[in-house]
Amino acid sequence: MLKLDRLGFLKRLRDRSKKIQINIPSENKYIKKVSARILSSLASHRISDEKAFDVKLCVEEAVRNAIVHGNHAERARTVKTIYWIKDERITIEVEDEGSGFDHNLLPDPTDTNYIMRNSGRGVYLIKKLMDEVEFNTSGNKITMVKKIK
Amino acid sequence: MAVRVENKNNLTVCHVDGEININSSPDIKKAFDKLISKKVPKIVINLSRVTYVDSSGLATLVEILKNMRVYGGRMRLTNLSSKIKSLFEITKLEKLFEIMAEEADAIATFN
Repeated sequence: MLKLDRLGFLKRLRDRSKKIQINIPSENKYIKKVSARILSSLASHRISDEKAFDVKLCVEEAVRNAIVHGNHAERARTVKTIYWIKDERITIEVEDEGSGFDHNLLPDPTDTNYIMRNSGRGVYLIKKLMDEVEFNTSGNKITMVKKIK
Repeated sequence: MAVRVENKNNLTVCHVDGEININSSPDIKKAFDKLISKKVPKIVINLSRVTYVDSSGLATLVEILKNMRVYGGRMRLTNLSSKIKSLFEITKLEKLFEIMAEEADAIATFN
């Protein structure tokens, strides 16, 4: 019995590190679907409210950027999100079908010349709130890592 | 999301409920546009019931502030959760906005 329980525990551990993929059409109404799914996966990891807030915010910012800037809100284009939880870290990849952008060229939204602008804080917040952030070479995929403990 | 507007001590106090995000921002903007069209001079926005703000929400608040400044209006934000306050600190928007801990203090000292 003990052995069976142990096997069940190991299976749960293995399942937790499985990669999960969520594909959505390029419409803002689907953003919550992605963040809700990821947060429900994190619930059993006893993540703090603060860290859950950060993950939710960064996922929603990344998916929105993919919809609006990457896929130009063309419904037929897909935003692909893949995430997995391993070693007390969640890794989240968000990819669009656009030609990409250079995140290094984005102006600093805290600069006095830009602080009053009505946009341009999404990527900045992701860089500040996540533990690791990386873009692929073409700039149409972001990978974000958050330590959950 | 909901915006409740009331008058207290000759000031306009707005209570926002829920999330200020990309989906709710247009409605929030619309609610404040009504006040701005009347050139309401001072607005206190109580955010005690706001659970979440994203970059669209921050942008909406910046836009409301800018639109009020056009006619010399002033706005104060109060009762921010520690997490939401940290977003204002990270983005340095705390320098733009008058942020106060309590609505009562914001009203009492809004000269």
